[in-house]
Amino acid sequence: MIPLKYNIRSLWVRKTSNLLAVFGVALVVFVLATALMLSAGIKKTLGATGHDDVAIVIRKGSEAELASSIEDPTVGLVTSQPGVAQVNGRAAGVGETVLVVALEKNGAAGFTNIQVRGVAPEATLLSRPFTIIKGRSAKPGSDEVVIGKRLEGRFRGLELGKSFDMRRNRPATVVGVFSAQGTSYESEVWADAETLRSAFGRPGLVSSIRVRLNSASAFEGFRAAVEQDKRMGLEAITERKYYDRLSEGTSLFITVLGSVIAVFCSLGAMIGAMITMYGAVSNRVREIGTLRALGFPRVQVLASFVIESLILSAAGGVLGCLGAVAIGSVEISMMNFASWSEVVFRLDPTPQALGIALVSAGFMGLLGGLLPALRAARVTALAAMRG
Amino acid sequence: MNTLVLSARNLSRNRFRTGLTVLGVVVAMLAFLALRTVIYSWTVAAEVAPKDRLVTRNKVTFIMPLPKHYVERVKQTPGVKATTFANWFGGRDPNNEREMFSTLAVDTNTIFEVYTEMKVPEEQLATWKQDRTGAIVGDVIAKKMGWKLGDKVTLISGIYFAPPDSPWTFTIRGIYAATARSVDRSTFMFHWNYLNDRVPEIARDQAGWLISRVTDPSQTANISQAIDRMFDDRDIQTASQDERSFNASFLASFSAVLKAIDIVSIVILCIMMLVLGNTIAMGVRERTNEYGVLRALGFSRNYLATLVVGESVSAGIVGGVAGVALAYPLIENGIGRWLEENMGMYFPFFRIAPGTALLALAFAVTLSAVAALIPAWRVTQLDVIDALRRVE
Repeated sequence: MIPLKYNIRSLWVRKTSNLLAVFGVALVVFVLATALMLSAGIKKTLGATGHDDVAIVIRKGSEAELASSIEDPTVGLVTSQPGVAQVNGRAAGVGETVLVVALEKNGAAGFTNIQVRGVAPEATLLSRPFTIIKGRSAKPGSDEVVIGKRLEGRFRGLELGKSFDMRRNRPATVVGVFSAQGTSYESEVWADAETLRSAFGRPGLVSSIRVRLNSASAFEGFRAAVEQDKRMGLEAITERKYYDRLSEGTSLFITVLGSVIAVFCSLGAMIGAMITMYGAVSNRVREIGTLRALGFPRVQVLASFVIESLILSAAGGVLGCLGAVAIGSVEISMMNFASWSEVVFRLDPTPQALGIALVSAGFMGLLGGLLPALRAARVTALAAMRG
Repeated sequence: MNTLVLSARNLSRNRFRTGLTVLGVVVAMLAFLALRTVIYSWTVAAEVAPKDRLVTRNKVTFIMPLPKHYVERVKQTPGVKATTFANWFGGRDPNNEREMFSTLAVDTNTIFEVYTEMKVPEEQLATWKQDRTGAIVGDVIAKKMGWKLGDKVTLISGIYFAPPDSPWTFTIRGIYAATARSVDRSTFMFHWNYLNDRVPEIARDQAGWLISRVTDPSQTANISQAIDRMFDDRDIQTASQDERSFNASFLASFSAVLKAIDIVSIVILCIMMLVLGNTIAMGVRERTNEYGVLRALGFSRNYLATLVVGESVSAGIVGGVAGVALAYPLIENGIGRWLEENMGMYFPFFRIAPGTALLALAFAVTLSAVAALIPAWRVTQLDVIDALRRVE
């Protein structure tokens, strides 16, 4: 076996050229890792919002709460179904109105849709994560609202003490900022349920009904009961599945876009690595010949050069991943296709995302190094003397 | 001139390496053009929308409609030529749920007066107006779904529920073609009256948004203000703007994605620069001896630097031109056509803008020159004696 030290020292001799190749690989890995982290971030934010033992009932075919509408009397029917948890003799279920308002995004031209949720007092029965971190809670029945912490300062009017219009002469004043354990609620505005309905002219209608179930296993029975009457046109899904569905489109879009771009880039980086390695081989013909003369077989020369290329790409891979992790705390605000509203989320450096990026670096090194290594393997001992 | 030819000739010294380098430039050009075209086609709807059209929506939120009687008021605003309205139906084909296309309930009498860039044959238009359940669809979606005139189509709506025993059923009565590239050729349009008759009392007589054409495009801003002022004292206020800024304002939601694509397209060019720089640096190092000879013969430092930069720029030009030449068939006939047919909602016109192609070429030339700067600088620093002594 040709010692690894030989490869590392050889790489060091041609620092500049090798560094260029390493940077090429690092850039590709950076792009790929960032895209995968972005997609994981959306999944994490929306995934954290959903629970298995909470069911959400919407109008069949609506996909998201925003498009769905259900008449008030139905709420009572749904929450009295079997499997719904009871708290102090009351069913743990609530009808909620979800709307979007068009607000200006700070630092970008144009408006964007911010989700507003009309929260009734009974919503506390759902035991959602909710902590006021600034200001105070909104007074029930008032025009006061609290905003998720990720919205704060990103959009016009969404700051403590500021307000935005719900309709003419009816501003909603922000009195508090809340955190909700990294869930997508942190990208929502919470208003009083009745205030929201009257301000937007939606009396007697809710968007969705949420119920807390006795256990996750009670869901199937609950669903069968809710969906039994086809004319009602309702659909019951677990909250977890609902949020998975919401994140699906956007996260797939980012993954596909990121991967396509990464494939293109990696072709470029691979060519870069190949040029470097071919250069290394042709410069070291005499060395290779000597190795052969010393009795190292072709296979080992081949392996040695492939390993050298792998070291090169691994360095690039690590550098790229480090770069991606370094920007990991950046918050991204973008529209979620499925809910037509803005979600703010953080890049999530999952082991999987970084792993895939590193493996792709390995592939670049392998593919970029194979042809040059084959050329090296063909060098004969004679070449060393001739050189 | 001679100098350029001479420096370009250096490229043929190691044809294999030059080939790889040019290939790298070609790949980078393709990727750059593809990404730039994504941004361009995403924003094209905003850029090429006619200037004489304005959109009026609910001021607070686009999901809440406007009272239908607003239409008459807007129509009578001085300077407005025609007004129409539409409601978002959110329809999907239950047999093909993944297929995305816009479905709109429209006013049959006025829609094509306002959307003049959609062309429907006269007789189809007449039959459509007669049939309350009739629909007019874009040529692209019709072809894709296999819809022909007279076909019955059932859709489910994410917004307007229909019980299973009386679903939303339509008859295809017309197929429109587009005369402007910003038009989505996959929209499904049907009678607003059909929708209005079937929705619950509370949702009746509501118009999703209003679209008007004005006589004098330069007056669009003033007319928008006049319309909004008209409803200023109403509970439901309006926000009007010309279609161009209306479309552009939607882009704010995607600003993060657009910015990311923007950055990545630059990253790709950086990779290209690294590949080019690497090749040139290698060539220069191998030829250290020759540069020593040239210096000894009396050629100036600057001349040597020019030779190096010229070599890099030649490779950049060859790769750039080849990349752009390849990109046209690949993007316009391959990816572009597929995107137009499958994602027409977002990419109605996926073509390379002439400006983008020129930009790509300009970058290829400039960046290849930049890539050669370090090797060129090194050559100028060579000490003649050292260079001659060096043996590779």
